[in-house]
Amino acid sequence: MSSHPNDYIKPELMACCGAREIKDGDVVIVGTGFPTMSANIAKHTHAQNAVMMQESGVYDARPRRPALSVGDPCLNPGAAFVGGLVDIMGMFLQKGWVDVGFLAGSQVDKYGNVNTTVIGDYAAPKNRLPGSGGANPIGSLVKRVLIIALHDTRRLAERVDFITTPGYIDGPGAREKWGLPPGTGPAALITNKALMRFDEKTKEAYLVSYHPGSSVDEVRDNTPWDMKVSADVRETEPPRAEELRVMREILDPHRMIKIYEKRGYV
Amino acid sequence: MSKLTTMKEAIAAHVADGDFVYIGGYICRTPFSAVHEIIRQGKKDLTITRSNAADDFDMLIGAGCVKRFIATFLSLGVYGLGRCYRRSIEKSIPHKIELEEYSNLSLPLMLMAGAMGMPFIPVKDMVGTDLMNVKSFMGDNKYKMIESPFDKSPVMLVPALSPDVGIIHVQQSDENGNAQIWGIGGDCQWGANASKKVIVSAERIVSRDVIGMDPSRTIVPDFKVAAVVEEPYGSHPGYTPGFYDVDFVFGALYQKASDTEQGFNEFLDEWVYGTKDRADYIDHYIKKFGWEAFHRLQARFGFSFPVSYEY
Repeated sequence: MSSHPNDYIKPELMACCGAREIKDGDVVIVGTGFPTMSANIAKHTHAQNAVMMQESGVYDARPRRPALSVGDPCLNPGAAFVGGLVDIMGMFLQKGWVDVGFLAGSQVDKYGNVNTTVIGDYAAPKNRLPGSGGANPIGSLVKRVLIIALHDTRRLAERVDFITTPGYIDGPGAREKWGLPPGTGPAALITNKALMRFDEKTKEAYLVSYHPGSSVDEVRDNTPWDMKVSADVRETEPPRAEELRVMREILDPHRMIKIYEKRGYV
Repeated sequence: MSKLTTMKEAIAAHVADGDFVYIGGYICRTPFSAVHEIIRQGKKDLTITRSNAADDFDMLIGAGCVKRFIATFLSLGVYGLGRCYRRSIEKSIPHKIELEEYSNLSLPLMLMAGAMGMPFIPVKDMVGTDLMNVKSFMGDNKYKMIESPFDKSPVMLVPALSPDVGIIHVQQSDENGNAQIWGIGGDCQWGANASKKVIVSAERIVSRDVIGMDPSRTIVPDFKVAAVVEEPYGSHPGYTPGFYDVDFVFGALYQKASDTEQGFNEFLDEWVYGTKDRADYIDHYIKKFGWEAFHRLQARFGFSFPVSYEY
């Protein structure tokens, strides 16, 4: 097996991008799907001491099947701690213990603000979306927010229709002005075409790497703001053999991750 | 004195039109039997709340029971957006509900404040976002920004919530309402204790002696409880840890039915109006899908390590 087998699918690459953002010893708050996959890949490779929690009340679950929601019954038996929202969102997240959190957005803008509330006007929306749930507190309070999004000019925006969850809000100094904890905010935007980070000064998302098969030009064409490009922009490293082995043999033998292809992550 | 009663009597006696109702559950221990009875009795103008609402709230909204929703989120999970919720907000079918939106940190803390008898509570989320810019029936009392009297930093205060009635489903309770749960809690303990009175729906009724063998599991003491209902499979199609799993097949059925207004109404006719209580509902389920399908939902069994409270 070569060190980078080429039979991977895009959601697997994106899950690896997420995994590589997680450091050994991180406390990670996860939902389902990508975030859990990313955190688990990290835990089985370079970050064996990373730990996970779900907002519903669970810490260090040992599920025997992939959880389909953060309230999934498979999270109960074997967990190190089961409480409720006040424990996880209050005692752990608000208190400042959580290093990494994932957000998925129907709409994401250049400052990493995420919209999961409405498309269109709030009072008379074109599409009513689920709302904040845990997204706003995760985006407000974790140290490094990882945002997952589809890469097109509809999902990415200069400015989201509704800021459900704060990224850098309206630019430099905004999080500080509102009293959000120092050292928090979006760290990476992982799309099906690229990995972006947020500029230290301008707080705008810029291109770090484009995924194999894409290019700087394609990413630029599908990004609706005047996107800056890193001086050492390169191709995203494809999934390593070990990462794929962990995903396919241990974490997801039925390859449920393929459902993300149907959702456009190709 | 025993508070044991039927769900029909509990809802008739303790949920009035226009009430503010907390409904517990987080897919885990959803009090679905109570939700169906509220719909059956045609309750109106309710204000409902819970963090992370799902199919049960979608159904109440579609059935026209809800006027106001203190919300953080509503979806059908793996089955996508709440269809009735969308129809209400986007097309005013059956009518447009009023929404006050918070988050899964702020709302549980508002319930905790209610449970503690505190007037309000500071929260660290929501600031800087459009959640501050949309205010509905709570108006300027949705939140207040203040300068911290301690260090001058900006602080958001949100009000305590005290629902008229809280409805929860638990694994076991005694007949007076000492209610015990295990597994994922969501905001159940705080929502129930914030409420002026509580309806306890339980998988099984046990003696006061059994409650006393593991009292750390009690989340609501009996003096707060107005009614106790023994309601096996009361959470279906949600789950109760140690009793039965989520019914994903039924979830797909509800998604498909609620795709259209007509389909949703047919769903209610079959599963809510067409059954007289939870036992009848389960009976209908077994007749329709067979004993095997019902049996498959039952949880496998594994005892936790016994604990002793003795001295």
